[in-house]
Amino acid sequence: MRRCFYFFILVFAAGAVAAGGAFAGGAGSGIKEYKQNISTREYEKRYNAVYGKFTEQMAQQGNPADFVLDDGKDLFKKVDGSAGKSCASCHGENGEKLKGVAATYPKYDPSIKGINTVALQINRCRKDNMGAPELKYESHDQLALELYVKSLSNGVPIKVSIDGPARPFYKAGEAYYYKRQGQLNMSCAICHVKYAGHMIRANLLSNNRHHADHWPGYRLKWGKTGSLQKRFKGCNKKVRAKPLPFQCETYRDLELYLTYQANGLPVEVPGFRM
Amino acid sequence: MVVGRIKIRVPGTIRKGEVIPVMALVSHPMDTGLIKNKAGQIIPAYYINDVDIFYGNERVTHCDWSYGISANPFISFYLKADKTAPLKIVYKDNKGGVYQQSVQITPR
Amino acid sequence: MEQEDKGPALTRRTFIKSAGVAGAMFLAAGAFPPLVRPALAAVKGENINEVLKRQFGNRKVSMSHVTINAPIIAENGAVVPLTITSDLPMNNNDYVKKINVYADGNPEPYIAGIELTPANGKAMFAMRIKMRKTSNVRAILETSRGQLYGAIKPVKVTIGGCGG
Repeated sequence: MRRCFYFFILVFAAGAVAAGGAFAGGAGSGIKEYKQNISTREYEKRYNAVYGKFTEQMAQQGNPADFVLDDGKDLFKKVDGSAGKSCASCHGENGEKLKGVAATYPKYDPSIKGINTVALQINRCRKDNMGAPELKYESHDQLALELYVKSLSNGVPIKVSIDGPARPFYKAGEAYYYKRQGQLNMSCAICHVKYAGHMIRANLLSNNRHHADHWPGYRLKWGKTGSLQKRFKGCNKKVRAKPLPFQCETYRDLELYLTYQANGLPVEVPGFRM
Repeated sequence: MVVGRIKIRVPGTIRKGEVIPVMALVSHPMDTGLIKNKAGQIIPAYYINDVDIFYGNERVTHCDWSYGISANPFISFYLKADKTAPLKIVYKDNKGGVYQQSVQITPR
Repeated sequence: MEQEDKGPALTRRTFIKSAGVAGAMFLAAGAFPPLVRPALAAVKGENINEVLKRQFGNRKVSMSHVTINAPIIAENGAVVPLTITSDLPMNNNDYVKKINVYADGNPEPYIAGIELTPANGKAMFAMRIKMRKTSNVRAILETSRGQLYGAIKPVKVTIGGCGG
């Protein structure tokens, strides 16, 4: 009994130290449990050693997601809904007015009191302004349209703001990222922060700098195009946690957290990954 | 996805007599005929089995494919650019579909 | 990984019934072999040695002058990038006539036959292939003079991997 009591004291003490560290950390990452142990450059070096340059080459040679993008271009100009409008009637024939806009997403939107993503905004715009039905998430048309809208910002550095009202949502996303979950009791951060750059059997664990800049994209393992949130679902399943629905509040917060990690990198869609 | 969209990539500037790389991608499901869908029925075989590449009037390359080629087939090969002529790639699938596209090659 | 509902569960009674049907089909297969066997053969798979023997007989293949560039680990067997290059000459008298590509573990090992001409300038062809399992990839080149050159490269196919 006494031993048990000591143990509890120890745990509490450790907790207090961790909390103190968090406060001392200030503006940086609030959680001091793990530190990014590998630089992006070092990671890329290891990636090339393990896989070679095949994905890079394949992406340059021909990305099957380019066909999805072409379909998105057609959809952008297609008149749909009761208002008799297409995306192009407001945003310019080739989407001139949307140039660079997707690089600032996800961002806080007062009208939904939460984080707004590109996919969600497209569906809201269709419903409110076009009178068209919302597209089902992860359907071909939805991905195509999202891909085209994002591709208009290709090359523009990602500039996501977490100041002001977006701050609590960023914190929520970070908390989810570090929260242990599922039967395997793992958090996102265990793989992609603590053990980034190590092998997990035949796979190399990536660090989280490049996670959000290339979606939607083609993924070799799926053999088709998908979005970042599909990837979240996959990761949830792999630690045997229950995946959440697309574009739910938690996933949008998580998307904000990950996109903030990629701040400064250019948008490159469609991506091509393992 | 629209079946039979073709993208052909050749270098921007070509010198006469140069050996240039050509890349092409076509959208096609390439179903093997061995896989079942969720309802348990076999998805019938649907794949490109014949590719012809013409440079001018001459047939440069011919491919005879089985279903072992990936979906959205990608090909890459070299071509000796010694004349001004169109490069035409013709894909034929086992259900009678024919998809083709050409690019003009103008060496300087 | 995930199990999905696929209609009614397999009870003992339905199992016996379906087993009976399958048995009847098996008998039918015996009775009309030409109708059924090609399909079965396609699923079960051909042996690579038989395919090679059928195509080339006992001709000698020299394992040189050909390079296969493929990943050591393929993340998805349905898309394996493959580049076959050769330093053999490509002039009007002597050129690579045909590139044959095989994946040993596939139900149909012979994947592609590519006929080149001197107008290609260099003997190279790249494509993406499907592989059913970890196995060797082979390329056998036929020259216009009738010689055979080949190369073998093992490719590991992993399925599962990370992040569903």
